[in-house]
Amino acid sequence: MLTVRIAGIIPESIVDGPGFRFALFTQGCPHHCPGCHNPQTHDPNGGRTISLLALMRQIWQNRKNLDGITFSGGDPFCQPEPLYHLARWCHRLGLTVMAYSGWTLEELRAKPECRLLLCELDMLMDGRFILARRALEMRFRGSTNQKFYHLRHGQVLSVE
Amino acid sequence: MIKTVIKRDGRQVPFNLAKISTAILKALAQTRTSEQLKDRDDFELEALANKLAEEAARKITVESPDIEQIQDAVERVLMDNNLPVSAKSYILYRADRSRARERNTKLMRTLADIVHSSAKDCDVKRENANIDGDTAMGSMLKFGSESSKQFYIDNMLRPDIARAHEQGDIHIHDLDFYSLTMTCCQIDLVDLLSRGFSTGHGFLRPPKDIRSFAALACIAIQSNQNDQHGGQAVPNFDYAMANGVRMTYARHYRTAMREAIELLCNSDLAADITLPEPPTMSQADDSAFKTREAEALRAAGVEEQVIERIQAFARMHAFKATDRDTYQAMEALVHNLNSMHSRAGAQTPFSSINYGTDTTPEGRMVIKNLLLTTQAGLGDGETPIFPIQIFRVKKGVNFDEGDPNYDLFKLACEVSAKRLFPNFAFQDAPFNAKLYKEGHPETEISYMGCRTRIGDNVYDPSKAQVWKRGNLSFTSINLPRLAIQSHGSLKTFYAQLDDMLQLVRDQLLDRFEVQARKRVRNFPFLMGEGIWLDSEKLGPDDEVREVIKHGSLTFGFIGLAETLKSLIGKHHGESEEAQKLGLEIIKHMRDYADRCSQETGLNFTLIATPAEGLSGRFVRMDRKRFGCIPEVTDREYYTNSFHIPVYYPISAFRKIELEAPYHELTNGGHITYVELNGKMADNPEAFEKVVRHMALHGIGYGSVNHPLDRDPVCGYRGIIDDVCPKCGRREDDGGPHFERIRRITGYLVGTLDRFNNAKAAEVRDRVKHL
Repeated sequence: MLTVRIAGIIPESIVDGPGFRFALFTQGCPHHCPGCHNPQTHDPNGGRTISLLALMRQIWQNRKNLDGITFSGGDPFCQPEPLYHLARWCHRLGLTVMAYSGWTLEELRAKPECRLLLCELDMLMDGRFILARRALEMRFRGSTNQKFYHLRHGQVLSVE
Repeated sequence: MIKTVIKRDGRQVPFNLAKISTAILKALAQTRTSEQLKDRDDFELEALANKLAEEAARKITVESPDIEQIQDAVERVLMDNNLPVSAKSYILYRADRSRARERNTKLMRTLADIVHSSAKDCDVKRENANIDGDTAMGSMLKFGSESSKQFYIDNMLRPDIARAHEQGDIHIHDLDFYSLTMTCCQIDLVDLLSRGFSTGHGFLRPPKDIRSFAALACIAIQSNQNDQHGGQAVPNFDYAMANGVRMTYARHYRTAMREAIELLCNSDLAADITLPEPPTMSQADDSAFKTREAEALRAAGVEEQVIERIQAFARMHAFKATDRDTYQAMEALVHNLNSMHSRAGAQTPFSSINYGTDTTPEGRMVIKNLLLTTQAGLGDGETPIFPIQIFRVKKGVNFDEGDPNYDLFKLACEVSAKRLFPNFAFQDAPFNAKLYKEGHPETEISYMGCRTRIGDNVYDPSKAQVWKRGNLSFTSINLPRLAIQSHGSLKTFYAQLDDMLQLVRDQLLDRFEVQARKRVRNFPFLMGEGIWLDSEKLGPDDEVREVIKHGSLTFGFIGLAETLKSLIGKHHGESEEAQKLGLEIIKHMRDYADRCSQETGLNFTLIATPAEGLSGRFVRMDRKRFGCIPEVTDREYYTNSFHIPVYYPISAFRKIELEAPYHELTNGGHITYVELNGKMADNPEAFEKVVRHMALHGIGYGSVNHPLDRDPVCGYRGIIDDVCPKCGRREDDGGPHFERIRRITGYLVGTLDRFNNAKAAEVRDRVKHL
C-alpha cells in the first residue's frame, strides 16, 4: 500500500495554481530556504502519513469542482513514486497536475527517480525561494527567480 | 401657599393660577354635554373652572410644586366635585401630552446625537454606508430623515402598523420618504438620449457624440436620483451608448476621408466634394458597400488609383479615433459617477448599469472600453465604487467559446477578479428566460445594483418589460422573531407569518394610495421627462396613479438562517431538512404575494431584502426581548435574506447550489455572494469557474467577493493584513490607513469607517468559501 508523508491538505485552493485545486502539502524538504512560508514542513519525519487510497477518496468526492491537483510542500520530489501514481490517477479523472519544487527543472531532469513524475506534470513552479527576490506581483510564486512552466510529457510548452 | 412652579425642563417660574383654570376650562368645555355640565352657560363654566383651580391650588402644601403635582391635584379636585367625565377627559389630555413630549424628546435626542457625535460613534450616521454623515449636507439629510420618520409614524401610519414597525416586527424601508416618492427605476437611455431632455434650466438636445452620450447618461442618472430614494439603473447601457459610437464613427469617417482626399488628390476637391454616406462599423468590411462607395468617389472626381487607399485610410482612422473617444467617454463616465452628488450634495447617486448582450461592433466597443477603464481604476488607481456594473450572461451571445461576445465575458471575469465589478446577471436562469421575448431587448433581465428585479406585469401583461419600471416600496418581515415566538411549532409559525403578511400587504397598499395621489409635477424628471413607463401620456397636474401600477409592491424578509435554527435547530447550510423547510417558508411568502397580485391587479413581489440598517436593528430588539439565544440572537446581525450564514464554513460551489432555488422564488430581487480568499486577480480561471457554476445552477444574479486592499503610500494592491507586504509599513505607524474595499448590500464601500456596527461585525465574521 503506497503512502505519502504530508503536512496538510486544502481541498479547494485558489492560490496554488490556476482554477480550483486540491492542494497537497508534502512533508520533508532539504532546501531550507530562508524566509520559507511553511518551515514546519521541512522535517522529513514530521507531519503524518496518509494512504494514496484515502487521498483518492477525498479527491473523488471533490472532483466536480476541481480543475486539478497541486503538489506543494515540503518538496514533492522527495517522494516522487507515490505522487507519480496519484498524478496518473488524477489525469484519468481529467484533472491537471501541478507541482512546486525547490529544484530547478534542469536539476530535476538530472534526477532519474524524478523522471516519471516530471512526465506527468502539466505545470511546474521551480526553484528555491530567494527572500531578496520576493515576488508580490507575479501569480502563484514566491520569488522572481522561480519559473512557471507549462509542460507535456516532460517537455516545456511555455513559460509564464 | 404656592409661590413658584418647577417646569419640566427644570426652570422655576412664578406661579400663575390662570394657567390652571385655563387647563380645567378646556376639560370642562370638552365635556359640556355631560350630565353634570349640560345646563351651564359659558360664564358659569368659567366661574366653575376658576373655583376648581383655587381648590386645586389649596390642596398643594409645598411652596414650589412641579407640574406633575399640580396635575395630580387637578385630577383629584375634578373627581371630588363629581365631574368624572371631565376628569377622564383631563387625564386623557394629560397622557396625550406626555406621549407627544416623549416622542419629541426621543426625536430631540436623535437630533442631538447627529449634532454632537461624529459618525464614528453614531450608528444613525452610518445607517447608509454611501453617505458621509460627518459632512454638513450629510447631517442635514439625517435631520430631515429622522424627523420625517417620526412624523409619519405619528401621523400617517395606521396605529397597528406603526407599532409593528417601531417594535421591529416589520421594517418599512425608506420610511423617511413615505409620502414623497417611489424606490427606483430602470432608466431607458436609448429612448431618453434619442429625444433629449430638460433638467430644469433649459433643454439638452439629443447628443451626437459618444462623449456627450456618456455625459448626458450621468446627468440623467443624477436627475432621476433627485426624484427617487432608491437606486438608479440603466438596463441597456451598451445599446444606448452604441448609438453614440455609431455617430462618432460616421463623423470620424467623414473627416478622415476628406483628409485623405486632400492629401492624395487636391485641396479644392477635398473642400467641395460631397462625400458618400459613411458606412457603419459592420458595413465597413462589406465588399458591396465598398464597391458602391468607390463608384461614388469616382463619380465625384477622385482619381482611380487612390480610391482604395482613401477607403482604407478612412476606415482605419475612423475606427481608431472612435475607439479612443469611446475609452475616454467611459473613463469620464466612471469618474463622474464617483464624484457627482445628489440630494443637496450629501450622496453619490446609487447608479447601476447593465450590459453585455449587444453584439454590434459599436456595442462591443462600448463594453470593451468600459471594462478596460474599470480595470485601470480611477486617477490614483483606486477601485471605482460606482457605477455598479452588471454583466448580462447569455448562452449563444457571450457564455461559450465561439459566441460573439465570449471575449467580453472573459474580460468581464478578469476585471471583476481585480475590481469586484462587474457582477453577473444570468439571462438563462429559467425565471429570467421565461420573461424574454426574442427581438425585444426591453425584456432582457436587468437588475438594480442592490439586487431589485422587475419583470412580470400583472397590471398590464402586454408591458411585461424591464425598461422604464421599478419598485414602488418594500417592507421586510422579521422572520427570526416569528420563529422564536413559535417555540418550535410550525403551525404557530405559519399562523403568525400569515398575520404579518396581511399587515404588510395593508401597509404596502396604504403607501401605494399615498404615492398614487402624487402628481406628475412632483416628479419633474421621472414623470415629467417620461422616464417612467407611460408617464409621457400624462400632463403635469395628472395623478400618477395609473402609471405607477407598472411598479412593484414588495414583501421582504431577513434571517432565514436564524429562523430555521430557531425552528428546527439547524440552518439550511447544515441539513437537507432545513433546506426543505427554508424553501417551503419562502415559497409560502411568494404564494401569498402572487395571491395579492391576483386580487388587486397590482404587482406584488417577494425580495430577498438587501438589509443594511436592518441587519442590526432587528437582532438588537430581539436580544433585548428574548435574551441571547445561541446562533439565533447571539451575533450583532441577522443573516441577510436567504443567505447561508457568513460565518459558516462551506464550499463556494455548495453555497451556490443551496441558494440557487431561492432565486426562483424571490421574483422581486435576489443575489448570491461567494467569498473567496486570495488575490483573485491572479486566478481568473477560478473566478470564471464560480460564475459558470452560478449559471449552471440557476442563480439569477451573483457576484464574487474577495479582499481588495491597497496601500496608498506604496501603491501595493492585494491582500494586506497588518503589514503591507511590499513596503513593510504598519497600519498603526501613523501614515494613511490601508484602503479596504468591501461590499455592503451590493454597493462597494471604500472605507470600513462608514460601516454601521452590525455590518462591520458581519464583514469581520465572513468566512471564505473554499
